[in-house]
Amino acid sequence: MKSGSFMSEKSAKIFVAGHRGLVGSAIVRKLHDQGFTHLVLRTHSELDLTSQSDVESFFATEKPVYVILAAAKVGGIHANNTYPADFIGVNLQIQTNVIHSAYKHGVKKLLFLGSSCIYPKFAPQPIPESALLTGPLEPTNEWYAIAKIAGIKMCQAYRLQHQWDAISGMPTNLYGQNDNFHPENSHVLPALMRRFHEAKANNADEVVVWGSGSPLREFLHVDDLADACVFLMDQYSGFEHVNVGSGVEVTIKELAELVKEVVGFKGKLVWDCTKPDGTPRKLMDNSKLASLGWTPKISLKDGLSQTYEWYLENVVQKKQ
Amino acid sequence: MAETIGSEVSSMSDKSAKIFVAGHRGLVGSAIVRKLQEQGFTNLVLRTHAELDLTRQADVESFFAHEKPVYVILAAAKVGGIHANNTYPADFIGVNLQIQTNVIHSAYEHGVKKLLFLGSSCIYPKFAPQPIPESALLTASLEPTNEWYAIAKIAGIKTCQAYRIQHGWDAISGMPTNLYGPNDNFHPENSHVLPALMRRFHEAKVNGAEEVVVWGTGSPLREFLHVDDLADACVFLLDRYSGLEHVNIGSGQEVTIKELAELVKEVVGFEGKLGWDITKPDGTPRKLMDSSKLASLGWTPKVSLRDGLRQTYDWYLKNVCSQ
Repeated sequence: MKSGSFMSEKSAKIFVAGHRGLVGSAIVRKLHDQGFTHLVLRTHSELDLTSQSDVESFFATEKPVYVILAAAKVGGIHANNTYPADFIGVNLQIQTNVIHSAYKHGVKKLLFLGSSCIYPKFAPQPIPESALLTGPLEPTNEWYAIAKIAGIKMCQAYRLQHQWDAISGMPTNLYGQNDNFHPENSHVLPALMRRFHEAKANNADEVVVWGSGSPLREFLHVDDLADACVFLMDQYSGFEHVNVGSGVEVTIKELAELVKEVVGFKGKLVWDCTKPDGTPRKLMDNSKLASLGWTPKISLKDGLSQTYEWYLENVVQKKQ
Repeated sequence: MAETIGSEVSSMSDKSAKIFVAGHRGLVGSAIVRKLQEQGFTNLVLRTHAELDLTRQADVESFFAHEKPVYVILAAAKVGGIHANNTYPADFIGVNLQIQTNVIHSAYEHGVKKLLFLGSSCIYPKFAPQPIPESALLTASLEPTNEWYAIAKIAGIKTCQAYRIQHGWDAISGMPTNLYGPNDNFHPENSHVLPALMRRFHEAKVNGAEEVVVWGTGSPLREFLHVDDLADACVFLLDRYSGLEHVNIGSGQEVTIKELAELVKEVVGFEGKLGWDITKPDGTPRKLMDSSKLASLGWTPKVSLRDGLRQTYDWYLKNVCSQ
């Protein structure tokens, strides 16, 4: 497999939109690791991506060679349900502005990032790329999902009409540095980490987790995602979007036990089986990315240890 | 989620309320303007593409800030047939998303009381059940030849729903079936089946041709709605419907392509033969919208296919072929 031009252009100007988020910050770290020297980064107050004219001026002035679109309005079930107009409207506006301006101002290649919620609620498991738009979406995040699907389709349409190199990557559940550990609206992995940590700090007897622990989930460390993004920028110029997962499934029970061990909580782990389990299984089919030659490198145990260290230094310390 | 439908009090009782009809020069927009004027609405705000480029966010914002329309009918879109969709997919998805996002957001931000968003039956899955109910949306894959336009229109429906849920704002969506009537596209290469047949029979009549040959067997079933009926339904929905779900707007009147061709031949007055080239493809066997939701709200179409074709042919004679 011959190397594409991305990796050979270490001084090419790269715009990473959304560089402060979980995904964007990991991509910036990875690009720095790999020796890319010319990153253009703008905070939301420096560049509002929902403003068409600001985005146009930015591209006209900066003329980046590559763009990684990791900026989005994101959130969990509660946020999607409460702010559906923001979730669909802001994301559509960001995507339409950035993709179009990037094309118009000579960007050589753009990578658009989405998430596994683009797939139908009852997609076959593992979920292949071909499952897109084959059935109804999960209602709790359909606003965000529709926006992301429109983004994938925009990239495809620009490739078809203009022969412009735009690709899309759809990651599975992510975790790692800069994740959201908020007690009320974080995802399951950071929520467990926080709860076990606080139970340890408070010498609690036990931590109770909802459900039976039997649902299966897949997790990918965000540094692995960033590695896959650089890989795709370098090696992939296909029409279809690409799933980015670890292929590593665990039950919620296995996850909880691992987090408990990594955090070092010595009390009991108890399951409240009266509470709902959620989807029985959610796993992406990553065979397409694997066949391109990419594999993840960070085991769940190592990733959790690294994330817990970060949590201690950046979340716990900061509060003190 | 509770739906508010069929209110007794008409929300369009103020005939001097300012109404912005975006896309007023197209097949749909021009029919809506005609209908509003007929119904006594006196304050229509209309802008050509040169006067207001709806893909420019700042221009759309200024327009709404200055004009502050009370009602908005969003009938502006980049439209076209199979060939155009296939050749310009980026324009079909990008321009339509930009128009929609700009207009819906600015309308909300500047106090518009109600917005009607228009799409088309191509939002539905390729193999949707026939007749196609509103609930078929997003249940299976789209027809690839117009998926770019379809995705944009689906995003528009969802944007309206999202603004209703988050802001309690009155945005509704109407999805018409195949339309025909004045201001349609009669271009020999990229018009739809009905205007294409009308043009071909007319030219055959004028040229004294012996025969017109139509592709296929003539057996596929299609539904047609005269655009004046669509406009009537739009005014009806603006007045009576404030629900979350989009509404199909169809005539419920199916004809075979053969019946359609025979009717057009008769209306045009072509005396020669109608032949069928059965070596050519038929296309989808059946395409009919389920319009029972709209019917249950109390609306029915008024223009029969025969009358509609006559009226359209009159318009064609005066406006297209005399040029």
